[in-house]
Amino acid sequence: MSKTVTQTKSLGERILAQPGPALVWVLGLLLLCALEMGAIAEMTVAIVGGLASSFAAVATAVLGGPVMPSIAGTIAGGLESATTIAAGLPDLVSRSVIPNQGYQTPDGVWHGTFLGLEPKYAWLLRVALVYGYIFVFLWWLWRGYRAYVDHYRTADWTPRDDMVRRLRSHSWGKFGLVVVICFVGMAMFAPTISPSTGEQNMYNMNAYDIQYYNSDAGSVEEISVLQANFQSASQGSGSQNVGLWQYDDFDRFHPFGTLTSPGQDLFTFMAYGARISLLVGSVAIGIALALAAGLGMITAYYKGLADLTVVFVSDTIQSLPSLLVLMLASMVFSHHWLGKIYNGGLLLAVMFGIVYFPNMWRSIRGPALQVAEEEWVDAAKSYGQRSSTTMRKHMLPYILGYLLIYGSMSIGGVIIGTAGLTFLGFGINPPIPEWGRAISMGQAYVTTPAWHISLLPGLLIVVVVTGFNALGDGIRDAMDPESEGEDTSAGVGATGGGA
Amino acid sequence: MSAVFVILRAGPLDPVAAILGQRQNPVLAHQIRLQLGIIRPDGSPVPLWEQYLEFMWGLITLEFGQSWVISRGTPVMDLIVARAPITIWLGFWSVMIALLIGIPLGFYAGLNPNTSSDYLASFGGIVWRAMPNFWLAIILSSVLVSSQFFTESLFGVALSWREWLWDTGVIGGPPLDNLADPEQLFAAIKWIMPAAIVLGSSSMGNEMRIGRTAVLETINSNYIETARAKGLTGRVIVWKHVFRNALIPLVPIISGEAFLLVGGSVLVELVFGINGLGKLTFDAISSADLTMAGGILFIFAVFLQIMNIIQDFLYTLIDPRIGYEQ
Repeated sequence: MSKTVTQTKSLGERILAQPGPALVWVLGLLLLCALEMGAIAEMTVAIVGGLASSFAAVATAVLGGPVMPSIAGTIAGGLESATTIAAGLPDLVSRSVIPNQGYQTPDGVWHGTFLGLEPKYAWLLRVALVYGYIFVFLWWLWRGYRAYVDHYRTADWTPRDDMVRRLRSHSWGKFGLVVVICFVGMAMFAPTISPSTGEQNMYNMNAYDIQYYNSDAGSVEEISVLQANFQSASQGSGSQNVGLWQYDDFDRFHPFGTLTSPGQDLFTFMAYGARISLLVGSVAIGIALALAAGLGMITAYYKGLADLTVVFVSDTIQSLPSLLVLMLASMVFSHHWLGKIYNGGLLLAVMFGIVYFPNMWRSIRGPALQVAEEEWVDAAKSYGQRSSTTMRKHMLPYILGYLLIYGSMSIGGVIIGTAGLTFLGFGINPPIPEWGRAISMGQAYVTTPAWHISLLPGLLIVVVVTGFNALGDGIRDAMDPESEGEDTSAGVGATGGGA
Repeated sequence: MSAVFVILRAGPLDPVAAILGQRQNPVLAHQIRLQLGIIRPDGSPVPLWEQYLEFMWGLITLEFGQSWVISRGTPVMDLIVARAPITIWLGFWSVMIALLIGIPLGFYAGLNPNTSSDYLASFGGIVWRAMPNFWLAIILSSVLVSSQFFTESLFGVALSWREWLWDTGVIGGPPLDNLADPEQLFAAIKWIMPAAIVLGSSSMGNEMRIGRTAVLETINSNYIETARAKGLTGRVIVWKHVFRNALIPLVPIISGEAFLLVGGSVLVELVFGINGLGKLTFDAISSADLTMAGGILFIFAVFLQIMNIIQDFLYTLIDPRIGYEQ
């Protein structure tokens, strides 16, 4: 197209012609990133480290042999140095800027917390700062898009403008977006917004000590986190319970209370659990969407035998009760190397992806068939374009929006399913926190003062799943105003309930 | 089912190890392998395709073999038959709950769109649908178990769910052998009700949403306008023209409930302590009783297929335009 329209310049040229707004935006972005340099680096290291260690584990399991440990050792060493470097970088919203763990001496003064604030307020301040940062960052990205639209886009209007406008006036969809952002933020910034770190609170309790003021002895003493957790566990009775918004005996603040023995901080558990929920959910939906989109285009393009094969496969998968198959799979693979990666998370994600794809494929098949009948596809075909290129360039953009809708609506089902499986004792194994495990821990304490253990994770699941559904509704209405009110989600296997 | 075979037989789990547990005994292991049809009497392994044919033949003739772990030596089919009634009872009532509450609420909301009660019902449906079954089950069962305490602190009257109307338990399943006796029947219904509400909850929310949309769509269509123009009363319009047409999109939701029931029954039965098929599935899978698990999965799959056929049949019944001729 660019050959025919002579005045079209590349984006780079357009920016060079009018560098002002772009420069301001890039500077702002750099500033925002610089504030968070440490966290970004740490996250990169963590992700790379996680991948590397799981690959090393797989390689060890599959190949065995003496080579592997040395490689794993090298990886671990490299990671350690990378972590130290990352920790040295400036980081505005990290725990170390606003520490909330400290102790109170009888004179009412807090030691070790930010500006001597009460841990409660220090923690709240940190959470507010994190979410403030997230929203400012997203707002800045939005401004970047607006700057592009206002100054650098050649077209005055594109259909996307209407979509954005409709989404912006869709309050239910915006509610969903905010919930989803909060959830993703909780997952991404889990180490920062939780009152205690995961390392200290869950994985390695014995290796850390905390200071507290012992009123019997009248002095500041040290105790290991494991011991402290045991003594501040919520067991349901009045004396042995740390509920919502309370401090335990060691002056540690627990916004959501503590778990049953050992009494880890529930909020920390939830924040780290959001990570695994999000990870399993997005990997599963990613697999399902990739399968659905690929197969949807192939079946719509070739029809005939390809279509029949996929119909057969998806019917087979759909005729099985998915939850039971997932249970069976995670049981059968529990001692297999595949079931060990990320404590069963990867297996679960892959299985969910396979189980969810037939439904999505069915939903996408209609639009895909429709676009395959279009003249431009025919034209591309007769020009001799390769079929894969035709699919990618002329069909995929059309069904991309549908993918977004179905993905957003199905992820809730995966989150609930993962929690349900973990509740049953399949799924994600300890020590990786998962919301379903918190629910099962608190099962016996629902009507006792320790009701928070079961109730809060469940409520959070409800809110998050509703949020994803609302976002899906909003995107659907934005893309296709005709469909307003129609319930696509029912077509996509009614996110929720099932588990 | 072939997929199940692959998982069961070709997967990494060794059934013999699962049966024997810690007690490793070569002689016993040999006997079990023989019994399972994994090896021939002379000790050579049976090829997988032969195992597969045998497995499939067993499914067709409903011969699932014997349970390995849960109850050694009992045929799988016997166990399933023994556990099925309570699950059917539970499933029946959860479907009834969803139908009798979800659809009327949805229709009500659709007939009075954009009123506060519509918003309440719609919002309730959305949230209701997003609730994890097992969590709802835990909360509901715990609250009911100590209902005495709650009602006393809230309303000043101690009202125990256990003793209310009929004397039943909260956890566990009712005896189903004497349903002809009305007293027993009502007690059994009351006993299963909490579990049925939980199990029916998600489909209830769905049915409500779909019902609302369907009513809204029909009510704005031309033939309703015609009916109104020729002077039909509102009641006749609703019952004769709106209701029937609005049911059509609900059919797949109702039959799709079967899927939710099968998966949900595992969690709900576990929480409510009902000794039905769901519990059996859980036990079978968690104790690696693979013949048992395979048999149950097959039964469930057959059940789901039957539901699909019934769904197609219902379509032709409700909507005469849909036929098999086209």
